[in-house]
Order: sequence, then structure tokens, then C-alpha cells
Amino acid sequence: MTLLQRDPRAPASWLGELPVTNRYTYGLAAEKFFRTIKEEGHIMGTHCPHDDHTYVPAAAFCERCLRKLDEWVDVGTIGDVVTYTFLYVNLDGSPLEKPEIVAFIRFGDGGLIQRLGEIEPEQVEIGLMVEAVFKPKPKRIGSILDIKYFRPVKI
Amino acid sequence: MTAKIKEFPGISLHEQDFTDGKILYNFDKLNGIYAWDTGVGIGSYLASLKAGVILGSHCPSCRKIVVPPRTFCEFCYRPMDEYVPLKDTGTVNTFSLCYVTWDVKRIKEPEIPAVIDIDGASPLHGIMHMLGEINPKKVKIGMRVQAVWKPAEERQGSINDILYFKPIKEA
Repeated sequence: MTLLQRDPRAPASWLGELPVTNRYTYGLAAEKFFRTIKEEGHIMGTHCPHDDHTYVPAAAFCERCLRKLDEWVDVGTIGDVVTYTFLYVNLDGSPLEKPEIVAFIRFGDGGLIQRLGEIEPEQVEIGLMVEAVFKPKPKRIGSILDIKYFRPVKI
Repeated sequence: MTAKIKEFPGISLHEQDFTDGKILYNFDKLNGIYAWDTGVGIGSYLASLKAGVILGSHCPSCRKIVVPPRTFCEFCYRPMDEYVPLKDTGTVNTFSLCYVTWDVKRIKEPEIPAVIDIDGASPLHGIMHMLGEINPKKVKIGMRVQAVWKPAEERQGSINDILYFKPIKEA
């Protein structure tokens, strides 16, 4: 037990903020990948001829044989839904009436995780062909969010 | 560089490359907000700094007076029995001339952090603060200094309520 009392005028707590910021550069392959999204609206991958494997997003080295990859391929903007989930909770924890639909969309031998849009939740199914909807070019900043969402391909 | 590697692979980047948009990057800021409970001893210390007093505490067993005040004696583990208001004068115990700021910018005029043994506390018990109104070349261990306080209405219960310590001019 302490004998001393806390001064009633004492501040209850000391408030502070740690000024921690970071800057992440994407590296050689992803730099080209994002720049192509920004400037041309294409999704690029790299192909390893030794393993016949196409990396999307583009990688600088093959994970399987560690060879340097310099064969760039445009994988188009249409892929198929491999898996998906409905999100009923917002980033701040508040509930969502209409779920956000997040899906993994296959491109080459890899794929991208993105939102689905222009679609009702009950229409989503595995194997659905979807195409990328890009932001207008002046608004693109070189980020994966330059793709607004993927929508079902109209046949 | 090593004997084997003359040049590292990769591309060097300069600040200009980021501002010119030559390189894509992601900027992020960690949410580093915190609240630290001041506790009994330090809470009272901050409250009395706002009132313009440096506070210490007294140990009934080994009779040390420590600053800032603690509720338990660090030397004999007995509970402290009373707060002791101390003088705002002291003696420089050690100091440093610092030519870089906290965010690593070079400065011409050094900042002078020092440990100041506060008068009224036991010998070699002091606090760390800055020295001011002094020629950096004339700082000496053992010199007498006095606190320069912020105006009372600007104080907010912080160690920065003392702006710095300045030398006491000997009469």
C-alpha cells in the first residue's frame, strides 16, 4: 500500500502520438505492374518459360526456380471468380445493410483480390467471369484501387 | 561495399524521384496515439509543475529524497511517506552538446541536454532537462543553474512547463 496520495489536480493520463510514417516502394516488378494499370489500364504478369507459370501480379523472380523473369504478358482484364466473401461489417465496425463483395479473381496462374460491383449478392458464383472497371485515367494514382471493381461480363 | 561486391544491385532513390512522380509508392501513417496513466507519483509531480514547484518524495527508512517523486523507495523498497517541495535551482551533474535535432537535422547552435541535481533532493538525485541562455563553450559540470518557467497561464502540467535551466550569476 502506498502512503502517498495522488494530487487531485493531477492529469489522469498523458496523451501523445508516435509520429511513425512509412513509404513503401513497390519494387522493380510491381512498379511496372502498377504503372501499366495507371497509364494503360492493363493487368500485367510475368511468365517463367522454365516452369510455364504466369505470375499475376507480376513478380521479378520465379518462386519455383528462382530465375529472373523478364517475359511480360498482358493477361487482359477478364478473369474468373475463384472464391468470394460477403462483408457485412464496415472498416469502423458499423454494420452494412448491403454487403461488400470481395473476391479472388484468377489471372494467369495467380490473381487479384478485389471488390465485385454491378452485381447482386445472390448472383455471385464461383467460376463467374468478371471484367475490371478502371477509374478514369486522370484519377488513377498507381494503386490496386485504380480498379474500381470487377463486374460480370455481359454476353 | 565489400571486397566481393563492388556495387549493390537495385536502383538508388532520391527525394526528388518521389516528388517528381518518377516512382510509385504507398504512404502510410501508423495510428500511434497513446494515453499513459500518470500514476500517483508522476501525476502529483506534473500537477505541481503546473503550480511552479518541482516535487520530490521522502523515504522514511533511508531518508533519501528523490525527484521526480515515487511512491516506493527504489533503494530500500519502503513506501515513501511524504511529498517534499524542492527548490528550482540545482547543479549540473552531466551534460551534452547536441548538434542534431530529434528528427536528425543538423543545427549550428547546439542544444544542451543536462542532468541537473535539484537542490533539496539527496545528492546525485536530479532530472534531465535543457540548458539555455548560455554559451555552449562555458558549460561545466558542477555549475549552478536555475529553472526558467513558462508564464503560469501557459503551463499545462508537463516537464516542458520549465523552458530550460539558466546559469545563476554569481554575485
